[in-house]
Amino acid sequence: MLQKFSAFIFLLIVWFIFAGRITVDVLIIGSAASLLVTLFFSDMLFREVHRKLPWYHYLRKLALLLLFIPVFFYEAITAALKVSKHVFEKNPSFNPGIVKVKTELTDITGLSLLANLITLTPGTLTLDYDRSESAYYIHWIDVETVEEAEMKKKIIARFERWVGVIFR
Amino acid sequence: MPIRLIAAYFLMITGSAFAIVTVLGLLRFPDVYTRIHAGAVVLTISAVLVTMGTAIYVWDFFLSAKIILIGIFFLFSNPMATHAIARASYKREIALPKEYEIDAYSDYLGRDV
Repeated sequence: MLQKFSAFIFLLIVWFIFAGRITVDVLIIGSAASLLVTLFFSDMLFREVHRKLPWYHYLRKLALLLLFIPVFFYEAITAALKVSKHVFEKNPSFNPGIVKVKTELTDITGLSLLANLITLTPGTLTLDYDRSESAYYIHWIDVETVEEAEMKKKIIARFERWVGVIFR
Repeated sequence: MPIRLIAAYFLMITGSAFAIVTVLGLLRFPDVYTRIHAGAVVLTISAVLVTMGTAIYVWDFFLSAKIILIGIFFLFSNPMATHAIARASYKREIALPKEYEIDAYSDYLGRDV
């Protein structure tokens, strides 16, 4: 019930933003459309929580999520500058390759979010996830090392801790 | 000129510079996968910087919120499209990386490239 209610409120807020004004006619049409979407697809937007945590845990997770946004953009901009450096070389000289990196996350939302974050960062690209060994296959534009611990530190450790704390 | 407009122009010009770098990278890099890396720059950094600059430029609550929603949509759709293109071109053998020294994914698929 809480799942459906939060999905309805979220969709209504998005509808108001796209409409651009808060009036009665927008409210009527918007609640009809949001109700229709909520009835069919509400389980895709929010998941049921299995474990009950005290309320301040969720507040802490929300604060960490907001703190994570500037950290992510800092990492993304430094990685983008690294890739842009290769563009201006006379002969683009790098050593691309596909490496296998193990992860310790188990939560399914955290796993997919970490894969998306790796793909969003320029220079690394997730190709596949192996469920039996819990490892990502990552295409790396410039393979600097083949040591497993070093590789993990350079590619995913900067995001894995944040995602592991937020989605646990 | 107010400081808000200067910040907006700075963000938009930085985003456009990254877009130009992306086009050069798409033309110069050797194979499909490295070109996808160059394309990820434009979708992650450049589009987000330009949308943020535009949101500061218009400075109206509903318009800015709408533009920021479009930027968030970029951040959601970009990794899915990138991942789908790369994985399909590897698994369907459309463009195989023949000259790579390190290729752990072909062992996983049971191929000897």
